[in-house]
Amino acid sequence: MRDKTHMEFVEKWADYVKKNSDWKKIHSEFINSQIKLHKDFIKRLLKEKDGKEKIIKVYNIKNVNGYKWLFK
Amino acid sequence: MNQISDRTILDKFCINFCKIVEKYTKYIIVSGFVAIASGRVRGTEDIDMIIERVSKDEFIKIHKELIKKKFVCMQSDDPEEIYELYLDTCLNIRYTYKNQLVPQMEVKFVKDELDKYQIKTRVKLSLTGLDIWFSSINMNIAFKEEYLKSDKDLEDARHLRIIYADKVDENEIEKIKHMIRNIRLK
Repeated sequence: MRDKTHMEFVEKWADYVKKNSDWKKIHSEFINSQIKLHKDFIKRLLKEKDGKEKIIKVYNIKNVNGYKWLFK
Repeated sequence: MNQISDRTILDKFCINFCKIVEKYTKYIIVSGFVAIASGRVRGTEDIDMIIERVSKDEFIKIHKELIKKKFVCMQSDDPEEIYELYLDTCLNIRYTYKNQLVPQMEVKFVKDELDKYQIKTRVKLSLTGLDIWFSSINMNIAFKEEYLKSDKDLEDARHLRIIYADKVDENEIEKIKHMIRNIRLK
């Protein structure tokens, strides 16, 4: 169980979203940077031994043929 | 309440996917992305979509159009196989863009009366800035508080309660929680 500070932050941020017009910019930067971090990690993992196999296992990819770019 | 200009990668992915699906059937976006599109700051890899049941032939059309628009299904390239082995047996399927692993759209058929009610009461949420159908705020709060219950889900519910204070209907939430207990938790 997370401590109460997590919920306190959720409440503070929700209040910020309600009262400020710039929330979307801050929010978009956060969401987009997470996707970018993930892409960068996948690139690094693909360079490792067994990296492709790990990705296929983690994402439970049955349609390996659809993700040929992993094997380039 | 302020409106929105920038779109996230998740927003664009979701819009592109929904645009195709809505040509063929009714859909709703549920759970985490409802909170995230409403300003909740947390990560996710996937967006959850429930669609009304369609025939195999209709699904083949949806799948082909998704492929044409550069999506790919993680389970199979064969729409008949996807339909028979997954959708028709109430298993989820996942689509991504052809050259990416995230974001993912997790798609499933309506499976019970609760899902039918979710579709029936679907809404558009202007605060998100997205012209897509979501399950109602009361529905999302009820699911997260009564059924999912993880820290992340309870925080999502709290966020939605604050952001959409004007839409929260405690009687409706209690009614949905009662349905959840009778249909999903029996």
